[in-house]
Amino acid sequence: MNGNTGKIALIDLTENTVESLTLPEETYRRFMGGSGLAAKIFWDRADFAADALSPEALFILMNGPLTGIRLSGASRMNATARSPLTGGIAESSCGGYFPPALRFEGYDGLIITGKAAKPSLLLIDKGIVTIEDAGSLWGKGILECTADLRNKYGKKSTSLVIGPAGENMVPFACILNEAHHAFGRGGMGAVMGSKNLKALVVNSETKELSLTDPDRIKTLVKELTPRIKNHLISQVLHDFGTSGNLEGHMYSGDVPVRNWTSNFDEEMGDALTGSTLSDRFLKKTATCAYCAVACKRIVQVDEGPFALDEGPGPEYETVVAFGSLQGSSDLAAVCKAGRMCNDLGMDTISAGATIAWAMEAYEKGHITEKQTGGIPLLWGDMETVINKVLPLMATRSGKLGDLLSMGSARAARASGGNSLEYTAQSKGMEAPMHDPRGGHGHALAYAVSPRGACHVQTAMHFMETGACNYPVIGFEFDLEALTHEKKAETMVLAAAIGSVENSACLCQFADRSLTLPEIVELINAAAGYGYDVGSMMEAGLRIFHLKRCINYRFGFSASDDDLTPRLKEPARDGDTAGIEIQFDEMKNRFYEMMGFDPLKGIALRKKLESLELTEEADSIWPRTI
Amino acid sequence: MNMSQYYKDAEDLYKIYGYFLDRVLRDDKIGLKMSKAGIIIKFMYTDPDAEITIDLKNPPSKEGYYGTVYMGPCDIKEDVWSKQPADHSHRFWHGLENPIAGITKGIIKQGGKVTAMLKLLPVIKPAFQLFPIALHEMGLDNLIVTKK
Repeated sequence: MNGNTGKIALIDLTENTVESLTLPEETYRRFMGGSGLAAKIFWDRADFAADALSPEALFILMNGPLTGIRLSGASRMNATARSPLTGGIAESSCGGYFPPALRFEGYDGLIITGKAAKPSLLLIDKGIVTIEDAGSLWGKGILECTADLRNKYGKKSTSLVIGPAGENMVPFACILNEAHHAFGRGGMGAVMGSKNLKALVVNSETKELSLTDPDRIKTLVKELTPRIKNHLISQVLHDFGTSGNLEGHMYSGDVPVRNWTSNFDEEMGDALTGSTLSDRFLKKTATCAYCAVACKRIVQVDEGPFALDEGPGPEYETVVAFGSLQGSSDLAAVCKAGRMCNDLGMDTISAGATIAWAMEAYEKGHITEKQTGGIPLLWGDMETVINKVLPLMATRSGKLGDLLSMGSARAARASGGNSLEYTAQSKGMEAPMHDPRGGHGHALAYAVSPRGACHVQTAMHFMETGACNYPVIGFEFDLEALTHEKKAETMVLAAAIGSVENSACLCQFADRSLTLPEIVELINAAAGYGYDVGSMMEAGLRIFHLKRCINYRFGFSASDDDLTPRLKEPARDGDTAGIEIQFDEMKNRFYEMMGFDPLKGIALRKKLESLELTEEADSIWPRTI
Repeated sequence: MNMSQYYKDAEDLYKIYGYFLDRVLRDDKIGLKMSKAGIIIKFMYTDPDAEITIDLKNPPSKEGYYGTVYMGPCDIKEDVWSKQPADHSHRFWHGLENPIAGITKGIIKQGGKVTAMLKLLPVIKPAFQLFPIALHEMGLDNLIVTKK
């Protein structure tokens, strides 16, 4: 097998065993790799009755066919599990250095089940997977643990680590590579924690890959790298990081403010935007493996209450979640809060959004000091957030830590008044920091994305903002952000393209300058799938439908494809004020185009069969005699 | 051959943009914010071929202005340049064209410090309201574009 290694490690932490699994090449072609292949494995092997944090639960890490080819944006991998936050499928994508290292060690992925009897780590060294003791690491923050692992296993090693939040099974705990690159969403860190798995370490000496057409890959990498590097988006990302256009997004109504009560604050936009971060705190840039874009920030805050040593800086999502969303324009506080979340191992989106919701609930009297343990939750009070709230959440300590560590949806259900209405989430997962009132396609994308409110599981975010042009599939029209027009039609394409990106494990920033035929050529030259654009898009749709089927098996239905009232109410200020989102119209049209059953929210048998999902169709739609 | 819907020739374009940019660069909110960019931008147009340079780096040549505009080719070296059809620019200044989409589709070409120019986008957004007003004041209501 080329591109892929054809080898997946099957690890049972309860039995302390490691086996090797080989899947048919046809399975790779149908499900591509990464997110798609992980979803197929999940469908085939998961115990759908098992709790997300039980030993029986699956935790899958999966590379894509392009991992390790030394192209910018092609060093990502996927994590898939049942989400402890939503109860549905969770998937998360991470760049950094672990994915190519695992590929070089001969593995496409890891399937982890069971629960270790004591804190453990997985070591992948010279192609052999072993389960090692991690007792001395348990309880440590991610920064210290990562440094310890580097010291123990050498400079060429790279690790995935959870923090105290993962150990305590906070349902939005994350996993970090090199304390900077995150499997952020869906609670993957909690799944690892539930298995007593503190870390995974790869010690990679070799850089060998087996490719279908290595010369063509070499040529493509040479041709595409300058284009990726010089693309406008890449330049913005390099110069100012992922928050580079935050100020511009603020004017278009994309940036939520004070728990989504507003989406316009000019001063906050100016104070929090990427160029301000660069001017004030940037020490240098950093990157994922083989990427010329280098969008990562290394920051240092020299003085003040949020002084911070040189280290990983915040992404856009963190800047907004711990900035405008909490009513703060203090960028130093954002840097500190982001670093703390990294160390504690919490998804900054869910953590920040839950705190912002709590601030509004406190203001409205739906959370009282009795529930907060006497801690006031005031807009913009970042000292309290950083010094008190975050540590309590990660350790689930005290009444406040216990409440907020549940995530906003469960915390709201446990609180008073109508506080669930002003959470901003879908299927229990907090929305990322892009306000659907500033781009109505986001509303549809958040609602129908299998993992919950998400802007990267599909390509809608980039398609709606004008950053995509795919004439080969008919997407060459301009989308008007503030209407529902053509959004359902776009969403069908966005679902397929997003699945392709997450299964080929391409970075959604770096691949913006690639055409679909170029992605096809890359995949074929690496893995020999024999795709054309049509079959690649069909594979993307197949993967999206499969994830919907997984959610159905977990009990989700069409009624779960919804947003909370806060996300659907018209904006109150800025250019988008007063404009209604025609959500039902978009959703109904999308359902019609996808062939979804209007109640079950999954495709009908015929549609599933047409996508080569016959076995899946049989289990959901029993054949009648 | 000039294929423009809105401009007869380069002189016509210079007349309209001259009037409009004069207002923009005197505007205490928009002009002041633009001047903070501290860059020199060259706009190149096709259909009709024309060139406008806005200097936001050097001290303005006239009192009460936040920058200096040069109509037609000039010797000042730009930090960033942008090239697009004049009609696309005309619609852009009405707020009817998405510049990111224009760049993605290759309608707009750019070079130099493009990130500095991108930073100007939110700053100039209020000028979208001024452009049709400028056209109206010039008696050119027939050139005002409305959303379909």
